[in-house]
Amino acid sequence: MNKKSLSKQIYDARWCYVFVLPCLILTGMFVIYPIGMSWYFSLLDWSGFTKEAKFIGLQNYYEAVNDEFFWDAFIRSFIFMFGTVPVKIVLGFIIAVFLNNQVLKLAPFFRTVIFMPVVTAIAIIGIVMTFVFSPFNGPANKFLMSTNLTSAPIDFLGNPDTVLPTVMGVYVWKWLGITMMYWLAALQTVPQDVYDAAKIDGAEGYRLWIHIILPIVLPFAIVIILVEAVGALNVFPLIETMTAGGPFFSSEVMEIYIFRTAFVTDSGTMPRLGYACAAGVFWGVAVLFITVLQGLWMRRTRRI
Amino acid sequence: MKKKKELKISRRTVMKGALAAGAMMSAGSIPSKLFAGEFNIPDPLKPLPTTGGNMRWIDSGDMKGVFWKKLFPEYAASRGITIEYDGLPWKEINKIVPIAIRNGTVHDVFQLPLGMDPGVAVSEGWVQPWDDYIENLDEWLANFPAGVYLPGVNQFNGKTYGLCLTANKRTGTCLLYSEKYMSEAGYDPQAGRMTYSEIRDAAKKITKRGNGQYYGWIIGGNQVNRWEDVVHTFGQVAGAHGGRGGFTNRHINFQNGKFQIASDQYMEAVELLLQLKSDGSAFPGVMSMNAPQARALMPQGAAGMIFQGPWCIGVWGRDAPEWKYGIASEPVPDGKKAQPLYIAEGGSNTLWLSANSTMGPFAGDLIRFMGTEQGQIYWAQTVGAADPAVNPEAVAKAGLTGPSAQALAMFAENLLVGPNPIVRNKDVGVVAAKSRVPDPSLALVIQGLYTGQLKGVEAQLKDCNQRYEDALDQAVEAARADGANVTRDDWVFPNWDINSNYGASKYSEL
Repeated sequence: MNKKSLSKQIYDARWCYVFVLPCLILTGMFVIYPIGMSWYFSLLDWSGFTKEAKFIGLQNYYEAVNDEFFWDAFIRSFIFMFGTVPVKIVLGFIIAVFLNNQVLKLAPFFRTVIFMPVVTAIAIIGIVMTFVFSPFNGPANKFLMSTNLTSAPIDFLGNPDTVLPTVMGVYVWKWLGITMMYWLAALQTVPQDVYDAAKIDGAEGYRLWIHIILPIVLPFAIVIILVEAVGALNVFPLIETMTAGGPFFSSEVMEIYIFRTAFVTDSGTMPRLGYACAAGVFWGVAVLFITVLQGLWMRRTRRI
Repeated sequence: MKKKKELKISRRTVMKGALAAGAMMSAGSIPSKLFAGEFNIPDPLKPLPTTGGNMRWIDSGDMKGVFWKKLFPEYAASRGITIEYDGLPWKEINKIVPIAIRNGTVHDVFQLPLGMDPGVAVSEGWVQPWDDYIENLDEWLANFPAGVYLPGVNQFNGKTYGLCLTANKRTGTCLLYSEKYMSEAGYDPQAGRMTYSEIRDAAKKITKRGNGQYYGWIIGGNQVNRWEDVVHTFGQVAGAHGGRGGFTNRHINFQNGKFQIASDQYMEAVELLLQLKSDGSAFPGVMSMNAPQARALMPQGAAGMIFQGPWCIGVWGRDAPEWKYGIASEPVPDGKKAQPLYIAEGGSNTLWLSANSTMGPFAGDLIRFMGTEQGQIYWAQTVGAADPAVNPEAVAKAGLTGPSAQALAMFAENLLVGPNPIVRNKDVGVVAAKSRVPDPSLALVIQGLYTGQLKGVEAQLKDCNQRYEDALDQAVEAARADGANVTRDDWVFPNWDINSNYGASKYSEL
């Protein structure tokens, strides 16, 4: 066999490389470079905008892992993820199953309604929701009180016990449409003859879904879970607009923690970009670790 | 069963109020009726460049923005330039200005982020002196009250880098109240300073009368600095004599140089806030609203009292001109006499000129005019007590009436100039640059106590005090390691008479 040299192969595929080049340049500028610089900054004692930046090795990392607020935020991020992803996956699947039914005439209408929050600006949703959940004339409290479910208004966003579940609920509502779309796409890969064959074999109702359809769409589920899990760990705009991490850190997830330390604080001290980068790198590695685990799980599921 | 009445305040109204407050904060609109007349802008003292250009200006907005947005078009037209103004909340300035400085895109004239040591801005080369752009600078500076321009504060290496058109003689925690509700509760804050017990009692009575329609007291509780401001100022009124300003001044007792966060006065102030909550007098949902939102609810009759600053006067004057409210001094613990409050020397809203700016001649010309008596009168007539003009004679001639005049009189009576460590030793600026407010800060500790997430006022404040002590020690140590000649003794002012202004003669005695 006539084996071409590497340079010859590259030359032959030169137009492919030319077309890929813009993407590579942009990725380098806006992904690779910032990641590399954040690793470097994480080794500095640096406010982020003075000339003075002192190399301190891993001291920022040491400080971060010894900071209880860092770990509280870290854990809270995962609580957020575990509290929202299963709900979105299950709810999204159920809705998709209903809306995938060709007999349902209003399916496009419901799909649009459920998808609408997805295309609404998240900051707007965050601000509007602070009014919706306001204990003072907010519609949520008005409903609860008018139906005698509560006798006094609930300060959903001001009470440390209710703030995180409330934000999680808003998050699920905001992004449920996209999960539903993922599931619809997955369900539409199931050929009609599979449904027909299953029915001939007597599989109907939940048996059809559990034993026939679910195994077919399972590989999609892994991808959806992966995407959803990473998404649930990136909730900065919603939390910043709804609570800014308060009250007293009750809703401070990792991104809010990083933001708080990266900029001048309300208390008026110098920011710590170096420290914030260390926390960010640590967090990025943690998310990457989860992604890899899920990837391995996906590969294993495919083999099964 | 008697059905509980509902307060007729729609969400839309609340949103409208909050948005209006926000708009005022960012100087989104200008009530032209606030102005006494057109500006009579004098010709420049020396010829200005004829090349024109665009001058960009950023500050913390509020009533300042209202003024600038009226003046700038007139000034720009008279000088053949354009002016782009951004009035933003401090939270935004804290983010935007540092990034813009790094990118080389900072506005021509800007305010430094809160807590940023001016000495750093000068040494980093971010700013340039105003000396070349203000004709007869020394003569012009002489028009300002003593103590506004000081080495280490706004003057460095013999040059003037920061210009102040406003005084810092104000507090942000006055008692602002609904005249109707307070009178129905049987109290008149104008009759004399209210005590903590009276505040509690009035809040209870207002809440009781409100029967779910309105409450005794409101605060923007998710804006954490509000908690600290209230406790800090109330603590001072109660006798915890100390400094104001950034971390290296605030909460420090200059008699012994130590933080006084765990003092009885601070504890009593925190207890008052907790009691207002446990009495049921606090507006429901204070933890999920910021200060402008809380302020916007007052004229709508949602609460009887709020502890806020004189900037409310302009906002309420515009949004609710018919609403009757009063302004009074901060309350005092039972059986105690109110003590003076202290401000640091210097002005406020210091304006810095970007090192890269080519608009210095125009910026200097404009600020020079604003520093004249006529300019200061214009300022006082619009901005009033929100950001008082720095020239007291101009304020007197501005003919202010109503709450603005009352607030200014109150500040004049209550406030004294206290010691400022950075005036004594400019190396304190290096400490400021090295300082980090410990986590959780006092503001957050008070918020945590209020929400019940933290328990035990005394223990929490003691812990917090120790954290602040340690943080300042570390900052001093770091500054010394960098060659700064500074010790914790620089925070001790043994010759401080708490009942008089601390001026230049006192510093020279040290």
